[in-house]
Amino acid sequence: MIQVENLTKIFDQKSGNPFYAVDELNFTVNKGEIVVLLGVNGAGKTTTMRMLSTILRPDSGTATIEGYDILTQPREVRAHLGFLSGDTGLYGRLTAREVITYFGRLYDVSPAGIKARIAHMADLLDMHEFLDRKVDLLSTGMKQKVSIARSIIHDPPVMIFDEPTSGLDILTAKNIVTFIHRCREEGKCVVFSTHIMREAERIADRIVMIHQGKLLAQGSWEELREETGLRDLDDIFIYFVEKIVEEASDELAENTDNL
Amino acid sequence: MNWQKILIIFRKELLDLFRDKRTIITSFVLPIVLYPFIMIAFSSMMTRQELKLEKQDVLVYFHDTVSDEQTHRIRNALEDAEKIQVMEPLNGYDAESFLQLINEKSVQAVVEVQDSVNASGYTVYKVKVIYNKTDDKSDMALGRVENALEELESEFVGERLEAIDASRDMLDAVDVAEENIAPPSKMLGFTIGKFLPYLLIMLTISSGAVVASDLVAGEKERGTLETILVSAARRNELVVGKYLTIITISGISVLLNLFSMYLSFHYIFSQAVSSDVQVNLPIANFALILVLMIPLLTLFSAILLSISTYARNTKEANSYQMPVMMSAMIVAMISMLPGFELTPGFALIPVVNISLLIRNIMLSNFTWLNVAIVMGSTVILDVIAVGISVKLFNTEGVLFRTSDEQSLKFWGKEKANVLTPQTALLVFFFVFILLFYVGGKWQTADFVSGIIKSQLLLIVLPVILLMRIAKLNYRKTFGFVGTKPANFVVTLLASLPLLVIVMQLFQFIDLIFPVPKSYIEAMNNLVIMDDISIWTNLLLIAVLPGLCEEFLFRGYILNSFRKMGKWPAIIITGLLFAVLHMSPFKLVPTAILGFWMGYLAWETGSIFVPMFAHFLNNSLSVLIGKFGDQIPFMDAISKDDRIASWLILPAGIIFYFCLVWFKKINTQREIEV
Repeated sequence: MIQVENLTKIFDQKSGNPFYAVDELNFTVNKGEIVVLLGVNGAGKTTTMRMLSTILRPDSGTATIEGYDILTQPREVRAHLGFLSGDTGLYGRLTAREVITYFGRLYDVSPAGIKARIAHMADLLDMHEFLDRKVDLLSTGMKQKVSIARSIIHDPPVMIFDEPTSGLDILTAKNIVTFIHRCREEGKCVVFSTHIMREAERIADRIVMIHQGKLLAQGSWEELREETGLRDLDDIFIYFVEKIVEEASDELAENTDNL
Repeated sequence: MNWQKILIIFRKELLDLFRDKRTIITSFVLPIVLYPFIMIAFSSMMTRQELKLEKQDVLVYFHDTVSDEQTHRIRNALEDAEKIQVMEPLNGYDAESFLQLINEKSVQAVVEVQDSVNASGYTVYKVKVIYNKTDDKSDMALGRVENALEELESEFVGERLEAIDASRDMLDAVDVAEENIAPPSKMLGFTIGKFLPYLLIMLTISSGAVVASDLVAGEKERGTLETILVSAARRNELVVGKYLTIITISGISVLLNLFSMYLSFHYIFSQAVSSDVQVNLPIANFALILVLMIPLLTLFSAILLSISTYARNTKEANSYQMPVMMSAMIVAMISMLPGFELTPGFALIPVVNISLLIRNIMLSNFTWLNVAIVMGSTVILDVIAVGISVKLFNTEGVLFRTSDEQSLKFWGKEKANVLTPQTALLVFFFVFILLFYVGGKWQTADFVSGIIKSQLLLIVLPVILLMRIAKLNYRKTFGFVGTKPANFVVTLLASLPLLVIVMQLFQFIDLIFPVPKSYIEAMNNLVIMDDISIWTNLLLIAVLPGLCEEFLFRGYILNSFRKMGKWPAIIITGLLFAVLHMSPFKLVPTAILGFWMGYLAWETGSIFVPMFAHFLNNSLSVLIGKFGDQIPFMDAISKDDRIASWLILPAGIIFYFCLVWFKKINTQREIEV
């Protein structure tokens, strides 16, 4: 389970011209649930994901992953989550097996455990034939499978996917989508970020829309449609963006009046 | 830290690198193949070339303007000499055609009998040999001609002595014999010791560089950095694992280099040196050098790792490595220069100390204290460098620097780039070069107008022009705004204690690196000018620099580095400020003044405060220099231009309270804002 509380990240804080990449974000992801973090490029999706996976440190607010705090227990957090993004790479000169084993050992999985996990994942992802081939010699689809295996070698209860399908062809992207559904079946808790509305619709149990670091709206598609009275996803998203822009200008007008 | 994790990382990195052909070739194959190949090829080529040259005849043109019986003997002597051919005389030849003859290599030398003069009843023939020193064969011709003429001269002298019935023996009054007490091994050590340090240092850093750029910058480039950061390994475990990898690879490379070098030396000397010289390469010394290389190797590894962590990709890492490698190599060359000894001062400078110590070890001329100082100081730097690596690895801004290259342009559409670090650096170097060439010329021509012109035209004008072109308001950007009067009061109170601290520091540096007396005098003359009035002096040294230099540094440069955060901006600006003063001995004190003024500018937001501080500091120097001896109690605190060391205590205390007060004033400012 993931609980995000007032999560905030400010870039260029020292320069006197701070940029709020993520601004007081709140949301929850339950067990066996897929939550999609939806927003345009630069909305703060990657920053949020990186904070959840303890790569970046929030400036205020926090989050807990399986009850572990990202600020005070980063190691426990990392041990309980798998992270996969669209642009994560692999070590080209190592074989698929060596890469997966390396990460397994970094995650404190026992050698026997690693062996068993690799056998299991190779069945699951159909990767027996290229396990001992060097990664540089693999196709994009094969590499993607190795990346998936790498991210779940320690069988984490929480999965974080940061635009994992960006730059992939539809066949390779399908591997990921299938895999994400399997994660849900296994009772894992999944956060998935994307800027593609169709993708969000297809896999999400719940949507968390963010814009300029702030929470726009959250809920299932049905809930969001009911709230807005709109059918099209793009329209729903635009509706919420326009709503906050309006609110902001109202607020500005109010402030000027007060002055 | 979990050592098991470190070991896992270390083993993976080694496996990865050993599968990289680039690493294998540059770090392992090259040293093994290179030395024997270079040395054997080089030495055999040298001997062969020399033999070839020695066997050849040289052609000499003989030009005789005197032409008497004796000069004919000179010609004959040349003709009879071995391996000299004398060319048939040509008509109408003059000095210019001789030059042409030599340049065209038609002859190797021209021997010209220019004149015969009479000295005490004997004739002296003036013979000139024209040759080309850069041409090996021509140089050899000179030697042969000189030998032949010396023999002839001794013949002439013999005849003259005979004529007055004197014995030849009267010419021998002092018989000089040489005896070199340096044993052959030491001679060898002397030769090897000169270039071995350079070679070793160069190899260490270059073999480490290849590996280091791959280790972090390479991970960023391939997108694997994120994956190890989310793994259960701690960041310092990652740093140490990678650090050990660089050390191991460059260590193996240095070992191979030394071993291969040793073998090929052994081979060359056993081949080339005649049997009466016992060749004994001091193997114990090689072993000691190996131990000494460890701290240097770890230091380089840490620096290279920091660079790799800072860089966005391997290409960037390589270009950042270049200046570091270049400066290490240039500094390492010190062992090849005559006259440099391992003084306590040098023992503290990294690379220089090891370079000189290795040379001394090769000469078996070192103390264990030297070894301890060199090792100790390098290890301290080492720890600092590793600390920086870990710090960088924990700095998000560094680890995830945005990969879009910032445009280097600061004109046209990219005018906003005027206030960026790279433009500021360009402007700084531009001003530096202008001051060095143009400013220097102006000041030698006329000191007073030279300073005024340098300050206004070379320091202020470029910045104003740049800001104009970019249509930026420098008044607003540089902080031409008022501030609390109290800030000026604190600056005033702090100025004298700060000057005392800085002077103490200068004296301390003088202890380690003795500053030449002539230099101090020149510096004093620069500040205190006797032939001008005190007011002009203050205007030139205190007012103008206070205004102009602050405009450039705390105005333009500090604000260009603003994005990097408070302390990086202040420190970089201060260092550049120190560099502009072009005085190696005052570098540290000037930098500290620069930090202080940067701090004032940053905290108050007003450029007038650092301008005032700069003005105060410089005027105090002028006033003390000019009227110091008139102050009654000056004798108690200063002797021979040195101030008493106990002064640092009250100065430090006053300065501390100034700082506290200053902080208090300006936290209030922040709250008000």
